Amino acid sequence: MGWMKIANGTVYDPANGIDGAVMDLWVKDGRMSAPPTEPGVRPDKTINATGLVIMPGGVDMHSHIAGPKVNVARKMRPEDKRKAPVIRRSEFTRSGTTGSVPSTFATGYLYAGMGYTTAFDAAIPPLGARHAHEEFHDTPVIDKGMFVLMGNNHYVMKSIAEKDPAKLQAFAGWLLGAAKAYGIKLVNPGGVEVWKEGGGNIHGLDDEVPAFHVTPRQIIQSLAQTAMDLRLPHPVHIHCNNLGLPGNWRTTLATMQALEGRRAHMTHIQFHSYGGDADDQNTFCSHVPKLADYVNANPNITVDVGQVLFGETTSMTGDGPLGYYLHKVTGRKWFNGDTEMEAGCGIVPITYKDKSFVHSIQWAIGLEWYLLVNDPWRIAMSTDHPNGGSFLAYPEIVQLLMDRTYREEVLKRVPPKVLQHCRLKDMDREYTLNEIAIITRASPARMLGLKHKGHLGPGADADIAIYTPSKDRKAMFEMPRFVIKSGTIVVEQGEVRAELDGVALHVNPQHDAERLPDIKKWFEDCYTIQFANYPVDPHHLPKGSVEVACDRE
Amino acid sequence: MLTLTYRADHKIPVEAEVIAPDHLLGKSSADIAKLSVQHGNAQAALGEFFDVSGDASDAEIRIDGDCSRVKWIGAGMTMGRIRIHGNIGMHLGSEMKGGLIEVDGDAADWVGAEMRGGRIHIRGNAGHLVGAGYRGSRLGMRGGAILVEGKAGSEIASTMRRGLVAIGGETGDFPGVGLIAGSVFLFGTPGLRTAAGMKRGTIALCGVETSLLPTFRFDCVYRPTFLHLYLRQLAAWNFGPALKFEPGLVRRYRGDLVALGKGEVLML
Repeated sequence: MGWMKIANGTVYDPANGIDGAVMDLWVKDGRMSAPPTEPGVRPDKTINATGLVIMPGGVDMHSHIAGPKVNVARKMRPEDKRKAPVIRRSEFTRSGTTGSVPSTFATGYLYAGMGYTTAFDAAIPPLGARHAHEEFHDTPVIDKGMFVLMGNNHYVMKSIAEKDPAKLQAFAGWLLGAAKAYGIKLVNPGGVEVWKEGGGNIHGLDDEVPAFHVTPRQIIQSLAQTAMDLRLPHPVHIHCNNLGLPGNWRTTLATMQALEGRRAHMTHIQFHSYGGDADDQNTFCSHVPKLADYVNANPNITVDVGQVLFGETTSMTGDGPLGYYLHKVTGRKWFNGDTEMEAGCGIVPITYKDKSFVHSIQWAIGLEWYLLVNDPWRIAMSTDHPNGGSFLAYPEIVQLLMDRTYREEVLKRVPPKVLQHCRLKDMDREYTLNEIAIITRASPARMLGLKHKGHLGPGADADIAIYTPSKDRKAMFEMPRFVIKSGTIVVEQGEVRAELDGVALHVNPQHDAERLPDIKKWFEDCYTIQFANYPVDPHHLPKGSVEVACDRE
Repeated sequence: MLTLTYRADHKIPVEAEVIAPDHLLGKSSADIAKLSVQHGNAQAALGEFFDVSGDASDAEIRIDGDCSRVKWIGAGMTMGRIRIHGNIGMHLGSEMKGGLIEVDGDAADWVGAEMRGGRIHIRGNAGHLVGAGYRGSRLGMRGGAILVEGKAGSEIASTMRRGLVAIGGETGDFPGVGLIAGSVFLFGTPGLRTAAGMKRGTIALCGVETSLLPTFRFDCVYRPTFLHLYLRQLAAWNFGPALKFEPGLVRRYRGDLVALGKGEVLML
């Protein structure tokens, strides 16, 4: 692969301090490069980007695009597929379906068509990792990674109860390597296990998981410490207890305080920022300011939002009791999953309506988070796809953040009393293009510890999105002029122009091999799968993988 | 009037949702012949399968020939009239919102599925899932009327929300399964598990007996006035089985108690 020159574009590369500078970019062998030093070098390909906006390729750090639950959601929602546009087979694309849970190939094309080149699935049971990698194999263009569920893993809770952090560290390190995963995910720590034991849940950080005699506080602290001790590129990724319940802001604040300075990423924070009384819907309100103040004051914590957008979507979560709760609230069909020693799952269709007081507050709370976190490097854009809405709604969120007038127009559609239950109407902050570049690519890449993503400096992956500037920010970000992945032009004006596979991003932390016999015995005693058959074999990643170093300080 | 005469002899189905007055109004016969339909996995011109004559300026379409492999005719139509002389394929009048479709022949499965309004009158038999909801949908038929003078298959009026379905002959299993609301008139013997899981609505068994599920309770014997109004309307639409039917005392059962239990099965 020779030289590519992207000439005269207006570049937004916040990680390298470039804020709208007109400059040339050079690409060599799929990576960003300094300009050639040899005289007379002529690029094999030149893109005239005069007047166009250039950013690194987008990075979605929290999405649900592969694995067992996503596949079940595809199967249980034919009505969602039936009316959605289809992707037809072409010279460069396989056919696919869309809707709130697109098929694998469609997922790759749709992300790329929007300028995103990397996405992470945030909730894979380790036992389903092989399945997830097989779906990654069929998700073209974008690079992919996964966080594996550990917050209700029996071996994890047993190790914590035995007060043996070395044992926990060895298991977590081995499990991440075995699953070819990227990070540790906690979902309703302890609560999912209580649900699986008999239909209950956990509501307080110091409530005990009966069969294991551990508390959510212990699980959170132990796994946050383990992630740091393993020097994982991404800290522990936490879905707090009590998601979606009025008054859950207290649990969220307590969880952040329980970290006691350890690094952690609080995910889809919108769903965890609710005030009010569970028995009186009229008291439902936003408690973002208090939580955002805490995040602003504590640099060990980062967040992604999980923005709700109005429309039809599918809720899918590793939080089994939450799935049941949503089923009871909405009256709609429900899938419940139980992954033996490891995790749970719930899937329910959901329609967010702008005429609904509760849904409108959820929408406003998401926007309040974007507008109240002072440092854009500490917050990432997400819809928790598809839980709050499709990832295809990101351009809509950009418009809401960059255009206060547009925000006010949407606010006029929601029930008037929403304005008394949140502070959104008083917020006049408008994001700049540079800040959008931060929260959609640079900050998620940095939070994930991906040194080769989210920027355009020499050595970075040549993942580039080139947009035609427009005052209509939604239109601008919906259809990039060009999308370049690993130095290849894959999308032109919304059309896929090349067949390209992305790679799987994973870690392989060092762990104490002397602990493996105990893990093996655990498998032989408890699992339905043999220890030797459990790890994901490299031949499940035939389209390439990148092992990211565990060297985070 | 536009006349479409089917002259093909394919086993591969033709998907022709363009055959609806809404799509054909104002087009010449030559333009209509060029319209695209799906034939198996390929696109083809409507004119490859039909002889086209006249135009649809009066919103009337006549279809001749055995169209039992032609699907989706009248899908989503909002006005006008389609008269079919012969058999017709699946999804006739799917999600139809208005207008009239008449069939002098048999229809395949999914007649009037998720229909919102208008009327479909089939003088022969119909397949399964008349007026039903598509797989995964919460609601079936939401308005309008479907009249089948002959027999019908299983799961007719499945998850129906509003409207009227009348079947003159026998029906398959699960008629009115999951009925949410609306009225179903059965003049022939129903199959197994009539009204299973119904929440609300009315299933009237006109002159036929069937055993109900144990989750239905006998309520009363009475003589409801509204039945006469329905039967009079059916007769006004020239629905044969209703012309000769005179209701007497009615036994009312309520259920299904495994669901909301506010539905009724009337045995006339």
